[in-house]
Amino acid sequence: VFLDGPGNGVATVTFLAPGSYYSRVMMATRRPGKKKLPRKSSASREAKTSAHAEEHLLVEAAQSDPARFDALYELHFERVYGFIAARVHDRATAEDLTSEVFCKALANLKSYEWRGVPFVAWLLRIAGNAIIDRSQRASREHPIVDDPPDFGAKHDLRAIEHRARLFQLVKRLPEAQRRVVQERFVDQRSIREIAERLGKSEGAIKQLQLRAIERLRAQMEGGHA
Amino acid sequence: MPRNLPKRPLAEQLDEVVQAMLVSLQQRPEAAPHRTLAPLAAITRELRYLPREEFRATLKSDLQRRASMSVNEGTESAAAATAKAVHYMRPGFTSITPYIIVNGASQFIDFLKNAFDGVERLRVPMPDGRLMHAEVAVGNGIIETGDANEQIPPAPTDIHLYVNDADATFDRALAAGATSIYRPTDEHPSGDRWGALKDPFGNNWYIATPKDWTPGPEGLRSVQPYLHLREAHKMIPFLENAFGAEDLGTHKTPDGRVLHSTMRIGKATLEIDEAHGAYQPKPCVLHVYVPDADAMYAQAMRAGATSVEPPTDKPYGDRSAGVKDPFGNTWYLNTYLGR
Repeated sequence: VFLDGPGNGVATVTFLAPGSYYSRVMMATRRPGKKKLPRKSSASREAKTSAHAEEHLLVEAAQSDPARFDALYELHFERVYGFIAARVHDRATAEDLTSEVFCKALANLKSYEWRGVPFVAWLLRIAGNAIIDRSQRASREHPIVDDPPDFGAKHDLRAIEHRARLFQLVKRLPEAQRRVVQERFVDQRSIREIAERLGKSEGAIKQLQLRAIERLRAQMEGGHA
Repeated sequence: MPRNLPKRPLAEQLDEVVQAMLVSLQQRPEAAPHRTLAPLAAITRELRYLPREEFRATLKSDLQRRASMSVNEGTESAAAATAKAVHYMRPGFTSITPYIIVNGASQFIDFLKNAFDGVERLRVPMPDGRLMHAEVAVGNGIIETGDANEQIPPAPTDIHLYVNDADATFDRALAAGATSIYRPTDEHPSGDRWGALKDPFGNNWYIATPKDWTPGPEGLRSVQPYLHLREAHKMIPFLENAFGAEDLGTHKTPDGRVLHSTMRIGKATLEIDEAHGAYQPKPCVLHVYVPDADAMYAQAMRAGATSVEPPTDKPYGDRSAGVKDPFGNTWYLNTYLGR
């Protein structure tokens, strides 16, 4: 762990070389389970290039007008949150750290340089560092702590993309299914509680839960939202 | 193991996996008992990390605040900018914002998007799915909305909306579910190209493209509340006394009835006229940013307003007071605390 430069406030952690970041982000944009066919490769490379060019424009817009940071937030919230949430133990910490990452990113946006490194890699570097900072703070205050976050094994951008897409798909579930998923997994309510709140039978809630998860699974496999 | 299990509905089996996962602090090993369940269980494991929707929305608006405050702060950190830049209006807001309470706030937001290119800024849902609060940017203005409930009845509002092309906007609004009162015409007394329609939520929209209009203090605001009042001429001195409003131009009939009046509060304007025909009073809710909510509340009370809520600090970062004017409209007088 080292500071990115004196006084700019963005601590960074080198858990992957920039080159491998880039290649892994590229891999992550590929649909899981599909081998890239050679004849498609130039078209898909073009698609990626234009997606990156588009993101570059968004970043430049936000650098000159911070109010435009919105678009980057919308694009990357699920990635950053999912990355953090899988590495910390509770929701409050995940939310805290996610806020910290985006506030730091907004405040230091001008220090982000393109050089082919995707914006998400920059965000995740801030995130990784925030997690480590927090666990080090915790270990100073409470000597007995869990293992520090294990980036080597868990840091897989493909998994991050996968999770981010799942979170996006939840938002587009039919309303009743979406609510059951929210209440069950976010609020961690019991089936009985949800049944009471929604005025449905417990069996109906379990069915909605099943249908939601089956639908999500099918959409994740289909590769399309 | 699967063969020993009695055949039970998949929904039951899946819920057992979910239940075990939710109560367990440990990451479960691959516990899914059979082929159908395994991929579903994999999805549920990821769903443990699902973010709260409210958190996503709140952080977004927090970042928007920080962003708008850091505009003139160079490379200074957002935290320092937040501490320093205190302004009495929440970023993105002007002095007067209509707060339109409806049944079906989500559908209303869809209407604003479809009809007027509204951009959702914030949505705070309640556990039952209704919206506690939402903000939609329309042009350079904002419309706030929320679902009605037992305590807060619907409060539709009439809005004078400035757009680039009244005819095109009018058609889009019709396609989005509005009904025409009259199509845009050049014959309107304002001199603007002006049409009127009604949305499914009880609001009237006066869609106008300005021609020879005297712009307000900040130029034209896209969203202007339009209040049809009984004895409208009495509203003018009330607004002056209660909120320090300025009369930017009033046209009256020879017998003193208000044909049209533009009143300025702070940096924004609202319009009033004498209720007539299809344009009857609709007690509405207006959200006004003022430099000092306590002082303005006291001033409004002296001018004859009744109290809805004395000034209090709100968790969303405003100091806010509520009053009712003698015409039944509710005014929230807010000062943004800049956190």
